[in-house]
Amino acid sequence: MAVDELQAIIQRCQVLEEADFKGEDFNLFQVAGQKCLEDGYASQLLEVIQNEKNKVIIKNMGWNLISPLVRCIFMYKQEDDKREHCLKILDQLAQLCNPKELFLGLLEQIEQTSGEQVCQTVMLLLQPLQTVLLKLQNKKAYSVGLSLAMIMNQLTPLPVPYTKQQIQEDKLGLCQCCNAVVDFAKPFVSEVVKNMEKSSEYNDMELKEELLKFCMKSLKYPLLTAQLEQLEGIEEHPFRRFATEIIDILWNIRELIPLVFLHRKGKSPHWENQEFADIEQKNSAESLACLSYLMFVQRFGIDCFPMVFSPSYLLQCNMTHIEVLLIRTEESMLSKGLDLFESCLLRMENNSLLHQYLEFRGFINVPQVLVKVMTLCPIEHLRKKSLNILQLFIDKFDAEGKYTLFRCLLKTSNHAGVEGYVIKNIKDQIHLSLMKACDNTWFTGQHLISLLDLVLLLPEGAETDLLQNSDRIMASLNLLRYLIIKDCESDNQTGVWTILPKIEQNFLKPLHVGLNMSKAHYEAEIKNKKENRREAHSSNTVCSLTVSGEKMPAMTTEMQLQVLHSALFTFDLIESVLSRVEELIEVKIKGGMDENS
Amino acid sequence: MTTDEATKSEGEVQAAALAERGEDITPARDRGVLKIIKRPGSEDETPMIGDKVYVHYKGKLANGKKFDSSRDRNEPFVFSLGKGQVIKAWDIGVATMKKGEICYLLCKPEYAYGSAGSAPKIPSNATLFFEASRAGAVELLDFKGEDLFEDGGIIRRIKRKGEGYSNPNEGATVEIHLEGFCGGTRFDCKDVKFVVGEGEDHDIPIGIDKALEKMQRGEHCILYLGPRYGFGEAGKPKYGIQANAELVYEVTLKSFEKAKESWEMDTKEKLEQAAIVKEKGTMYFKEGKYLQAVIQYGKIVSWLEMEYGLSEKESKASDSFLLAAFLNLAMCYLKLREYAKAVECCDKALGLDQDNEKGLYRRGEARLLMNEFELAKCDFQRVLEVNPQNKAAKSQISVCQKKTKEHNERDRRIYANMFTKFAERDAK
Repeated sequence: MAVDELQAIIQRCQVLEEADFKGEDFNLFQVAGQKCLEDGYASQLLEVIQNEKNKVIIKNMGWNLISPLVRCIFMYKQEDDKREHCLKILDQLAQLCNPKELFLGLLEQIEQTSGEQVCQTVMLLLQPLQTVLLKLQNKKAYSVGLSLAMIMNQLTPLPVPYTKQQIQEDKLGLCQCCNAVVDFAKPFVSEVVKNMEKSSEYNDMELKEELLKFCMKSLKYPLLTAQLEQLEGIEEHPFRRFATEIIDILWNIRELIPLVFLHRKGKSPHWENQEFADIEQKNSAESLACLSYLMFVQRFGIDCFPMVFSPSYLLQCNMTHIEVLLIRTEESMLSKGLDLFESCLLRMENNSLLHQYLEFRGFINVPQVLVKVMTLCPIEHLRKKSLNILQLFIDKFDAEGKYTLFRCLLKTSNHAGVEGYVIKNIKDQIHLSLMKACDNTWFTGQHLISLLDLVLLLPEGAETDLLQNSDRIMASLNLLRYLIIKDCESDNQTGVWTILPKIEQNFLKPLHVGLNMSKAHYEAEIKNKKENRREAHSSNTVCSLTVSGEKMPAMTTEMQLQVLHSALFTFDLIESVLSRVEELIEVKIKGGMDENS
Repeated sequence: MTTDEATKSEGEVQAAALAERGEDITPARDRGVLKIIKRPGSEDETPMIGDKVYVHYKGKLANGKKFDSSRDRNEPFVFSLGKGQVIKAWDIGVATMKKGEICYLLCKPEYAYGSAGSAPKIPSNATLFFEASRAGAVELLDFKGEDLFEDGGIIRRIKRKGEGYSNPNEGATVEIHLEGFCGGTRFDCKDVKFVVGEGEDHDIPIGIDKALEKMQRGEHCILYLGPRYGFGEAGKPKYGIQANAELVYEVTLKSFEKAKESWEMDTKEKLEQAAIVKEKGTMYFKEGKYLQAVIQYGKIVSWLEMEYGLSEKESKASDSFLLAAFLNLAMCYLKLREYAKAVECCDKALGLDQDNEKGLYRRGEARLLMNEFELAKCDFQRVLEVNPQNKAAKSQISVCQKKTKEHNERDRRIYANMFTKFAERDAK
């Protein structure tokens, strides 16, 4: 019988001195103990462990039982008495065993678990692990750090619940587990705080560094990928609670403000190897971006935040973070980046951002990344939001800033829709300049001419794909029409009359040619299609189209005809605006001549 | 009266006093920032632009409600003066203070957060009221000045502030006046016009090029250069400067014209320029001026790496420039002993041409120097696959093997020692 075997080895060891335990005894104890557990004698084992006479034995050998114990606990049902006994055993072992060995035993268990059991195991072992760590005499900071790192590493592969339903369900227990880990860390935070209060010179740097690492890691996972907006119907959003706790820890160990503001620049890490330093910096970039999001968007810890920074400077500090978030493709990160960008911009007054800020790389890079989100992101609400934010960004700049930004966007976007949008903005700025009558050198005269040079042309002359570029062409024509109507030849405030010959040469003429060619081409195509309609039933698909692994149905001839007709419609539209513009030019020139004569 | 009301009325009294008697310290004289000195400073010096200043303060709204206090954070608030980091009222106000001074400031919204406010604490169009006292180690920072690259290599103290925020960029043409000192002796004094990144052509050390990128038009400053940013190990015999000398320069940036940013150039222009800077880079490389060469090759990468929408012909030309740039950068980094960067450049070169012999060889070299013997060996073996005649690669492989062996033996010795020690300890 298992219990008898255990009693036998226990009795043999009771008479021995601690130093006389042999390897063989350890083995026998472990085998017998394990057998007791497996055969369901947990209560008897508990008695043995609680027996005062066995104290020394348990102290030395008890940690061997951790592994079978954990296995048994998961085997029994929640309400089973035997499970209760096992939990008591675990608790007793945490009190009685040698901390050093037990620590390694517990860590080993956490290291070995994987998949769906990770959270359960971690939550089960956190309490004993904390008890043991608090008893450790040597290398405590290192051990706390090791535990936290090990736990976070084990959690990291788990998917982070994102939707409200997923969060409520918390299938793998991640939400619960994260918060348990923070509670686990709290006594160590208090210890650091107490030491810092004691004297400013004696700082428990090591433990503090470990806690800092844990916070940085938590910011990246799970917080960066988590949904952190308030959710209706969830009283205590688990990740919001977790985020608050992490920020509290950072604040308590006095690292919050330095992290947000100094970018830990001066405090270069102690890596000898530059490469490690680079890796650390790259890793921390995402954590810091998340921290900024939490502070500025979710306003966690904003109470500790100095209220004297200028909004431009805050935007400048956040630009790097915004860029880090926007170059990702995951919804969780993109939306965080957009929210952070928006919240920084909303702090500023319109026209208050000096154009010199465009000297900072981020101020030029971020709008370009934003355009990518706007044109390439598959998630519609993010595309829309990024367009709104681009407008907000444009609005904040002074005139010269807007001017430079427009130039940059026209040259880099490579997207007719975006170009059309920018051209519409240029028109609005010209309108404001003409209305205000105050000095606005950037959207009239010489500067404007050089901008118009970029706008009023066909990128590839008559061969330009008019359909692809229709947004841009329509916007350009509208702009030209506006200029001709608003600005008389005699005033020529915008300078459009000076460059009219050039516009005709580079824009209007090739546009005529292009329209004629395209229309002829599409009309011929339609005629072709109609004639071949009868044959279309035979499978003559030219090519097939696959969208994210799904084959799209082949276009029927009817659909193809529809597309061709809508193209023709676009050409007609362009043509009608074009002739309206030319008419206006003619009238104005004639009018001007009449006045002069 | 509750304490809350007490503070409120106290705040009101102070605010009223300020509005009445406060000195208008705005340059525009529009009473946007008013100041009363509560306790005069202990020294006569006021901080200079760009200096790190330490301040304790308490901020209240017009209704007396406290919105922020550095005391709550248990540490003084630190910022760089005159750089637009803080609300306008502060850049103006703190610049007038002397060390140890305590003063009250009343700031109109136009000099604070304006109509936008600053959520969640500061509402729209709020007038702010500050009690400020500078404290802490200002004197020390006063002569430390601004550490431009946070590595102690270039310290700047601005004598006269330049205009605007705009700085010369790499490749900009600058006109400067400079005086160079070493150990108290002046060794150089001239007016000179050159391209940032190419100062070496005029016997100007790299630190000046780097510092210029942080200067503004009209700025006059003193720069303290460490040897790494000075003439380095080579020294400068022409000026009688020894190896690893520390230098002091006084520089005035008279004017500059910026180089075009990458997005301002079209593909054709980029390709034309790439040919030119490649030449320049090679010239510097041959003279052993690797830092300068890195700047030139780096330009090619910044222009062409992200360029898209190229025609087939352009893309071919662009790839060949990029390949050359990455390979040459790798070589420079090898010489500069920045092996991780060298590996990174080789990786990029090999991304363009996976069998590139030089790319493989240089990555091997870099890895060998980083003690990654196995990886290095793989690279050299690949070189031999591409070109079996490469003798250098052959000999490098044997170096790798030798090093691996040495390394293993050293490990073995260390462990052996360790085990004997353990055994001895256990025996006790």
